[in-house]
Amino acid sequence: MEKKYALPSVLLVVLALGLVILPGKNDSRETDPNLLLSSVTEKSRYLSVDQITHRIIENDPTLMLIDLRPTSQFKTFALPGSINISSDSILSATNIERFNQPGKDKIFYANADLTAEMVWMVCARFSMKRIYVMKGGLNEWFHTIIEMKPVPVAASSSDLDLQSFRNAARQYFTGAGQKTVVPASGQSGEKVTVTRKAPGEKSGGGC
Amino acid sequence: MIGPIVSSGIVSAAWDNIFAVFLGMGFGFALESSGFSSSRKIIGTFFGYDFVVVKVFFTAAIVSSLGLLYLSYMGLVDYSLLYIQPTFLASAILGGIIMGIGFAMGGFCPGTSLCAAAVGRIDGLVFFGGMFIGVFLFSESFPLFENMYYSGSMGAKMINSVFGISPELFTFFLVLMAIGMFYGAGWIQNKVKKIEY
Repeated sequence: MEKKYALPSVLLVVLALGLVILPGKNDSRETDPNLLLSSVTEKSRYLSVDQITHRIIENDPTLMLIDLRPTSQFKTFALPGSINISSDSILSATNIERFNQPGKDKIFYANADLTAEMVWMVCARFSMKRIYVMKGGLNEWFHTIIEMKPVPVAASSSDLDLQSFRNAARQYFTGAGQKTVVPASGQSGEKVTVTRKAPGEKSGGGC
Repeated sequence: MIGPIVSSGIVSAAWDNIFAVFLGMGFGFALESSGFSSSRKIIGTFFGYDFVVVKVFFTAAIVSSLGLLYLSYMGLVDYSLLYIQPTFLASAILGGIIMGIGFAMGGFCPGTSLCAAAVGRIDGLVFFGGMFIGVFLFSESFPLFENMYYSGSMGAKMINSVFGISPELFTFFLVLMAIGMFYGAGWIQNKVKKIEY
């Protein structure tokens, strides 16, 4: 290695060493009450059940769904890919490390909003980033996505698109609406005609 | 905190693609001016006569790590808001092996092949064509590989957390490793017969 690179090398080592020996920054983990108040009053923490459903179906790798319900309810049913954490253990060392994972959107839900809101507030006070609440909780998700609703006569095209997405999502989660036609016993069904390629026929295209 | 400017909401997310175009142009310019559009230069790493590839990438890694950590220390960047590509271990290992073989065989990685194609090199154009066919075949046959593709999911994992050390300490070791590699590469280069290209 040429000598002219010696100085930049030393400089890089000194800079790297500086990072290690610098006193820890005053990284106050508690959010300023004024900031907390402004984030409570604005509604950007809410994600709709449609938005979350879309991200589940898309297999979004940045999605971290946190189910705050009791374990027994979680075992009965939970959104795919969600993890079960009880609200009283939200500040355990393991969970804090989990929530501080960069690049993840942490979305809290329970049966309704109250528990998720409470946990969101604690986490926001703890300066955690990218935390959200699924608006309406699992009850809202069930009413919106799983329960079939009639489409209003005067529905706009965006309403129809939304309804179509929800129908598709319902099939994705439940398999409902997929009709399997089974021929009655003794019936052979329609005869299938197979058209075979004539021998020696050249395939089209190619070289 | 002022950065990252898109995630912090300072600049609208609609600018993402505009930034991507300009950063891509800058990246391409840096690759071309480092001589990365020559497959002979790149392949020199495998034969020991030119280590510019590892030197450039290690330099980029240590300069950006130091910059990011210092900016974070000064409160100018919140790196917890940066997007981290999630790790899928099995597919990362297999993909790494396939890419390594392709790299050694063709003398390009995807970005450098585009640089070479852009300056009109025939080998770059052929490599880019092959890469396009490979991407097309993989996309069409994706359902066959889907389970393997998503296996070994570790989430957005940071390498320092795997070793259980702080990002600062990891960066310090990375800098030492990079400088050791710079000197080691220079030593090997002096021992290996020089190739004119």
